[in-house]
Amino acid sequence: MTRRIAIVEDEPAIRENYADVLRKHGYEVATYANRADALRAFKSRLPDLAVVDIGLRDDVDGGFALCRELRALSASVPIIFLSARDSDFDVVAGLRLGADDYLTKDVSLPQLLARIAALFRRSDLLAAPQASEEILERGSLSLDLKRLTAHWAGKRVDLTLTEFWMVHALARFPGHVKERDALMREAEIVVDDGTITSHVKRIRKKFLALDPAFDCIETVYGMGYRWNAAA
Amino acid sequence: MSSPPEVVTGFGSLRRTTVQPAVTPGADPAGPAAAPRTKRRAGLALGIRAQLLLVLTVFLAVPWLGYEYVQELERFLRDAQERTLAGTAQAVATALHDRGPLFEIPVAPLDTLPAERTRDDAAPRSGSVATPGSPEIAQILHGLSRTTARIFVVDREQHVLARAGSLKRAPAPEAPAPDASYPARFVAWLDREALQPLYARLLQSPTEDFSDERPGRAVATGKDVEGALAGILTIDRRPTADGKAVIVAAAHPIWVGDEVKGAVIVEETTNAVLAERNRAFARLFNIVLAALLVGSVALTLYASWLSMRIRRLRDEAEAAIDARGRVRGKLPGSSARDEIGDLSRSFGNALARLTQYASYQEAMAGRLSHELRTPIAVVRSSIDNLALQPLPDDARVYIGRAQEGLGRLASIITRMTEATRLEESLAEAERERFDLARVIVGCVDGYRAAYPGRTFELRVPSGEASYYGAPDLVAQMLDKLCENAVEFATPGTAIVVALQEDETRFRIAVTNRGPSLPATMQGRLFDSMVSVRDRHVDSGPHLGLGLYIVRLIAEFHGGRAIAANRDDGDGVTVSVTLPRVRAER
Repeated sequence: MTRRIAIVEDEPAIRENYADVLRKHGYEVATYANRADALRAFKSRLPDLAVVDIGLRDDVDGGFALCRELRALSASVPIIFLSARDSDFDVVAGLRLGADDYLTKDVSLPQLLARIAALFRRSDLLAAPQASEEILERGSLSLDLKRLTAHWAGKRVDLTLTEFWMVHALARFPGHVKERDALMREAEIVVDDGTITSHVKRIRKKFLALDPAFDCIETVYGMGYRWNAAA
Repeated sequence: MSSPPEVVTGFGSLRRTTVQPAVTPGADPAGPAAAPRTKRRAGLALGIRAQLLLVLTVFLAVPWLGYEYVQELERFLRDAQERTLAGTAQAVATALHDRGPLFEIPVAPLDTLPAERTRDDAAPRSGSVATPGSPEIAQILHGLSRTTARIFVVDREQHVLARAGSLKRAPAPEAPAPDASYPARFVAWLDREALQPLYARLLQSPTEDFSDERPGRAVATGKDVEGALAGILTIDRRPTADGKAVIVAAAHPIWVGDEVKGAVIVEETTNAVLAERNRAFARLFNIVLAALLVGSVALTLYASWLSMRIRRLRDEAEAAIDARGRVRGKLPGSSARDEIGDLSRSFGNALARLTQYASYQEAMAGRLSHELRTPIAVVRSSIDNLALQPLPDDARVYIGRAQEGLGRLASIITRMTEATRLEESLAEAERERFDLARVIVGCVDGYRAAYPGRTFELRVPSGEASYYGAPDLVAQMLDKLCENAVEFATPGTAIVVALQEDETRFRIAVTNRGPSLPATMQGRLFDSMVSVRDRHVDSGPHLGLGLYIVRLIAEFHGGRAIAANRDDGDGVTVSVTLPRVRAER
């Protein structure tokens, strides 16, 4: 079955470039330049995954609105924000609206492809019954590497793909300091140190929401981060 | 006027680069630019008040004009006096014309002039002294004599036939001092003690203490008598015998038929005129002095008010811009409708525009990066697409280069947004209690690994340095400080990272040996997009945001960032003070 990806992007060159590469990798691609077109199409047929730009020409926050509308149509369609904006505010807002990931346009096509593939895998496996599992266990933490889901003390931690990969990179070798660059590589993102910091902060908050005593992710100033296995 | 104070003009362009001079200890760092940023004008000692008072000296011409005027008045009065005397002489002569027999009697001339008399011992209108020589003439003179004039009648031999009147005037009665209020008494005192002596110096004051003794009967030998005897009305002016007063004399011939039988001489001192002149002058001078006094007081007050307003404007303008040239606040702007109010308002406007420009400059990095991202994404996705095509090997080389260039562009953009993002994240940064020393030690360990060619010297007090702040931000700040130090440090020298602690604050100082700061950049280093780097440093793009980030983080913690040259001139210390927070939430 061919998967259908919707790209909502106002810049034609970027739109077509993304569409081309996705088509080459066997996806069926539908492109939309504005929110109205996209929404009309979504209402007649849901895509399997949507890549959405936030600013759509004059519609400055059009992508956010579209995400909200799409989430209303379907709770499970993976949504990736792909935007030139990289402020924490936009990232937080985007993820809060139910997007699965937030990428800046610095992302390379191979990175984008990797993410799309991972998201499809996750949504497939979430839908499928329990199959052969590949689980990483670290104390209360358990990471399902197939489904790309994380659990803390049995409770699901709602991580984005980027966050999941970062947690995975940290927890794989407890006690070892992961430098920011390494984290970035493993999370398939290209961002600056400050963004890594805010990613880690968000991850911590998600765990803290489940367990106020959570302190497994330790900042090693000047180096990076470390998964504290003792906890 | 002296030239305006040196100010640093222009704003940081995107890449402001200043090539460092080869620095030797103690060398003059940057030539003429080493002058302090603002220096007070040397000639400011002559303030507006002094200048206005200087202008006021123009009015000192007024007393001189008054003096000239009084001189003119004096001339006029003299003329009038002469005319009056001539008139009197003519009147007396008219009474004696054609009365030949009066002059025919043999004369028993006066031996001497009688002792001068004052009015006091003379009966009213009895100043005339009947001469034995001619009682008839004396009788006539008696009717014509004037109170302040002396009248002689002489015959052709210049023998005095009759005489009347005296030259001396009664002294003016002392004006009784009115029961005046204090200021009036003060004015009177001032007049008596200061002004009158001054006027006495300037002007000759008339005196009644003169004598005009004339010997014998040859009473009048002056030109006037000679002229009159020659048949012409003559007016003469001569000093008294002792020179203490001036006498004006008018002589009129007395005709008997066609023959001059004698002359009438009317004499008067100029004392009345002088007194009148002096009084006029004193009055005028008093008024001018009072006007000058009032004027200069008013001008001084006005000038004080003006200079107070200007000084206040200056203080406000200086307070509005801090030492680093950043606009700290808005200028209140006076509502006065004059030029100074106008100036203050235009100052306010200029400051507002400066603020706008500064915030534009600071926001530009963020906006620029946002605008650049889209075209870069176009290029990147195109190249990525191309790379996925089957391509000849040599084409791959170019793709690799293009990707490398893109990577560099992306890292520039990342750096550009760093400050903007930091500003945003500062708004929601959370403080916590943490060990400052541990963060610094950890960071420096990291730098030792990151910069293997460098040595770092750590000076941290033993024990915990508990600080309430944002540890991530402090670490980020330290990153920037050390990045900066590494870049400028002379290879082979150690970079010193020190933490000091006192009652009220912590101080983190990063010192490196190497070139000192150019004087022009002092105070601006911590601004956005200001860089002192040599263009050819090959360690990546520089946008002059590193120390700006340091400043933002320091200010977030209520502290300050300061850059200073080392005392020995070899290197720079950048330090950040972090005040301890008194009340923790």
